[in-house]
Amino acid sequence: MTLSILIWLPLAFGLIGLFAGAKAAPKVVALGSLAALGVAISFVVRFKTGHGLQFVTDRSWISQLGIHYKLGLDGLNVVLVLLTTFLFAVAAIGANLREWDRPAQFYLWLAIAESAVLGAFVAQDLILFVAFFDLMLIPFYFMAGMWGSGDRETRVRGTTKLVIYTLVGSLLMLAAAIATGVLASSQHGTHITFAISDLQRLKLSTGSQEWIFLCFAAAFLVKMPAFPLHGWLADGYRAMPLPALAVFSGVLSKVAAYGFLRIVLPVFPDASVHFQTLLLLIALCSILYGSVMAFAQTNARLVVAYSSVAQLGFITLGIFALNEQGVQGALLQMVNHALVTVPLFFIVGLLAARAGGSEDLRDMGGIAFRAPVLASLFLIVALATLAMPGSANFAGEFLILFGIFRAKIVFAFVAAAGVVLAAVYMLRVFIRAMHNRVNPRVDSREIGFGDLIAIAPVIVVILALALYPQFGLKRSASSAKESVAAVGAHPAQVADAAAPSTSTRGTP
Amino acid sequence: MTYGWLVLAFPLAGTIIIGLGYRKLGRGPAGAIGTLMIALAFAAAVATLFSLQSHGHDHRQLVSSLWDYAVTAGVDAKLSILVDPLSVYMILVITGVSMLIHLYSVSYMKSDRGNARYFAYLNFFVFSMLVLVLAANFFLLIVGWAFVGAASYLLISFWYRRETATRAGIKAFVINVVGDVGLVLGTFFILRHSGTLDFLGTFAKVDAGAFDAHHGSLVAGCILLLVGAFAKSAQIPLHTWLPDAMEGPTPVSSLIHAATMVTAGVYLIARMHPLFEHAQAAADVGAIIGCLTLFVAGTIALVQTDIKRVIAYSTMSQIGYMIMGVSAGAYTAGLFHLMTHAFFKALLFMAAGSIIGAMAGSQSLDRMSGFRRALPFTFGCFVVGGLALSGVPPFSGFFSKDEILAFVAHRGSWFVALYVVGYVTAFLTAVYTWRMIFRAFFGPPAPEAVELEHGHLAHAAVPTNPADGEEEDTDVGFPGPEHVVAERELPMKVAMGLLAVGATVAGLIQIPTVDNVVANFLEPSFADSRWLGVEPSHGLIFFGLALGTACGLLGVALAYRVWVQKPETAPALQRRFAPVHRFLLNKWYFDELIDLLVVRPWAALGSFARGTFERTVVDGVFVGGTTGVVRAGSAAVRAIQTGFLRYYAALLLLGGAAVVLYFLIASS
Repeated sequence: MTLSILIWLPLAFGLIGLFAGAKAAPKVVALGSLAALGVAISFVVRFKTGHGLQFVTDRSWISQLGIHYKLGLDGLNVVLVLLTTFLFAVAAIGANLREWDRPAQFYLWLAIAESAVLGAFVAQDLILFVAFFDLMLIPFYFMAGMWGSGDRETRVRGTTKLVIYTLVGSLLMLAAAIATGVLASSQHGTHITFAISDLQRLKLSTGSQEWIFLCFAAAFLVKMPAFPLHGWLADGYRAMPLPALAVFSGVLSKVAAYGFLRIVLPVFPDASVHFQTLLLLIALCSILYGSVMAFAQTNARLVVAYSSVAQLGFITLGIFALNEQGVQGALLQMVNHALVTVPLFFIVGLLAARAGGSEDLRDMGGIAFRAPVLASLFLIVALATLAMPGSANFAGEFLILFGIFRAKIVFAFVAAAGVVLAAVYMLRVFIRAMHNRVNPRVDSREIGFGDLIAIAPVIVVILALALYPQFGLKRSASSAKESVAAVGAHPAQVADAAAPSTSTRGTP
Repeated sequence: MTYGWLVLAFPLAGTIIIGLGYRKLGRGPAGAIGTLMIALAFAAAVATLFSLQSHGHDHRQLVSSLWDYAVTAGVDAKLSILVDPLSVYMILVITGVSMLIHLYSVSYMKSDRGNARYFAYLNFFVFSMLVLVLAANFFLLIVGWAFVGAASYLLISFWYRRETATRAGIKAFVINVVGDVGLVLGTFFILRHSGTLDFLGTFAKVDAGAFDAHHGSLVAGCILLLVGAFAKSAQIPLHTWLPDAMEGPTPVSSLIHAATMVTAGVYLIARMHPLFEHAQAAADVGAIIGCLTLFVAGTIALVQTDIKRVIAYSTMSQIGYMIMGVSAGAYTAGLFHLMTHAFFKALLFMAAGSIIGAMAGSQSLDRMSGFRRALPFTFGCFVVGGLALSGVPPFSGFFSKDEILAFVAHRGSWFVALYVVGYVTAFLTAVYTWRMIFRAFFGPPAPEAVELEHGHLAHAAVPTNPADGEEEDTDVGFPGPEHVVAERELPMKVAMGLLAVGATVAGLIQIPTVDNVVANFLEPSFADSRWLGVEPSHGLIFFGLALGTACGLLGVALAYRVWVQKPETAPALQRRFAPVHRFLLNKWYFDELIDLLVVRPWAALGSFARGTFERTVVDGVFVGGTTGVVRAGSAAVRAIQTGFLRYYAALLLLGGAAVVLYFLIASS
């Protein structure tokens, strides 16, 4: 079984759904996502920890341009692939709980999104990665524009901003990707190639690395999103239908973070070191800005949205600690954040259903009274989100903070403020929705069986991972090491961690 | 494997059973299961004690590990527990006191419809506390540390329909997270140079000189650990959550906010003593803050009128003694006081719960009066607890507190100042304790007391929240509609009776020059301490005992004079020293200060970010103006419907072509 089967399976089911008609399509696509989950599990079982790139498919795609159809699994993406299939299955099942207009099309877009995300995760060729990266955004434009929540104007605004931002990012990345291949071959006098493993060997000159780095970084940071490139976030999130939003926020943002580890750090090591402080500052601003925005919001959905900005800030912080601890923590945190975001958005939906359709916290209150199960699930997710020790999120954050502590101690102290703020905004949203007096608009009722079926598996996984985060850490250890190996060899990184930050401007 | 795992397993099982079966269990069985599980944990703790004592004196540090938790890149977090005399001492105190408080709760919470939830939380708390003290590495310690914080939050906000309760809950949680962060950062400083999270490994590294060249790191690490300890143990300036935490049900105040969780900071410093002894500056900070806290809290307790808050400030003050003690090196004395305090303070809270029941939920000392005859058993318990707290011989608090202070005096130089403050506050302690007792039990009986003497328990016509007088939301069934007093409930009586015995005699196991049970037992855990075998001179000890007795008795006498013999003195004093009274009544304005320095700036930042920054900078600069976006919007929607994909693909292609072209030109 090759990885091609895994990535195209959801699309195939989506197409079958399109022909099977409006009635069968939701079930078919849900089935397809479960099948993909099964295939992903089989890959994880067969995966040999510490054996480098595995299950490699490598075909020449556009030979004149040296573009390959190359796929492979290693420690960086193996858990993320499992996560993606799992969360898309949850989203597909969750989407099944309600009716959609033109369901066959809606589910087709969902299926395309899954195929594209999986493709982006397993792609080992730069152009292939870019292609999948762009492909995965398209379904969400349509889902936001045509099935989105809110009134027409909200959807228009959201979709427009989403398109403008991500389009700019994509174009920058495409340009940067092409430039990488062209410049690498011309500087080293070899045939043009885009295979990431080749590009890693064909090191670019420092000057080229730097502007290419900035292009990639811009694309990834927009996608995450990171401060100050998050302008599309509020409107974009408001516009998107909840099942799509759950995977969008949970999984797609991780592709961007993953891109840093797969492409940016190994291929542009000098630039990564050169811009380390800049990226760390962006990460730090994201953490603080996302946190204060999260506790200034009254819309529950936007609280979750801005909390994602903060969490992605932590992940970026870990990556640009440029050491093993930071990267390992970032990888674990990608999984954790995805696992909490998906149920959080579902819960926002459930809360809104109990507060007369409003997602505004001021219309909620006292929901816990007749819904103890819902309250307990929400509490577990909320505590995991604020990275309470004992959750896997804490293990991730611990590693991230330790990584940054070793690299640049001041950043660790400032980021620690983000940990406290996370407690404030998560508990605030929990209390204002579930506790205090019952709001007159609230109709408190227990979580339904269908909703429980959709959410419970995620909660179980959150709890299981809380008991054994080593599941992810063990698989990613050697790849994380390789990912930072290039930057680790850099003279600036060997210098004392406590040295002033100017030391990052090492000579190439 | 050791029995230690079993100690952890029972409360966890209790949580899960009660949590999952809450619908089936109803009110009776939940309490029974909860209490039984803690009793079993106590039995397992006793078994752990015996199995530990069967090991040779030098082999009483057993580490047992289940699985790798997060082992990667130089971080070695395992699920491992350390069974040594210190942890066994702690689990005995915790499970013992918890068992009695569970028993008490069976009666106290019986009419509350949240009964099952209550016992699930309470079992979870005990589990967390046991994780905290059994952890064999920093990582698991932090986990236990945060878990008790979460359990504390859940129980403070237990009556979550009261806004006062949810506000107190979030305050406690956030301040505790500040402590967690301190602990994490402190751990980083230590881990960076020790290379291991394991306690014993770290201590070995410290002794081997791993920090000789990094002394600053060690001091910074220890000070950050202290931040964790201060937040959890309600030491200045991270103490403001504890008085508010009295929003929780009274047994919770008794268990978490008096006997166990708040003493975690004392345990932490004792556990980390090999680090603190190499970082003397940090240890000094601990001693000074402890001393400051014990005095400030003692003064505040003098004027509070909420009976639970008086006891809460007293707890803060007593923990100040312990923190000062263990920071100064009086480890066994500090831990000894931890145990005796657990007994008498839990007892005082339980007794307070009984009188609050008789007052139909009211907690105000202004309304309580003359309950001596109506509540004879509760009165007896108050007297025993009060004498122990005031340090009157031969009650337990007398021996333990004086042992701490004698050691502090023995350290000499500026520690003498701490010693003096310690005894001044001992006097204040007796005054505020007996002020509370005399006001509640002496004087003319309050209407509720009269009614109770006639055999009727008072019931409020309209149940209200004692904190703000707001009418309760009665349809939820909690807090329970029925109030209870110890006189009528056997479980409460048993629990309080046993604790009263403990509060009376526990001091006798460690009498200077007579016996030394606690110190001898704990000795293997502190065998590497530089203070081992350092003992104050007999003269100092006996002088302290005499001084302590005098302070205690004088305090009681003064309180008797002011609040019983001449009740008009108190208002006169208040008028005379109005500014001081207001200052103390406002708790030295710590809440206002923190609000001004911390809360408001962040809130202002939040509203600035949301109101101004987001609109002008993020929207304006990065999209080219909101209006432009909206105008572009309609066009974009049309584009979506009429082949937007083509447009997008064309743009992509165009951009790509331009870039390729550029490089073709540039490279030629």
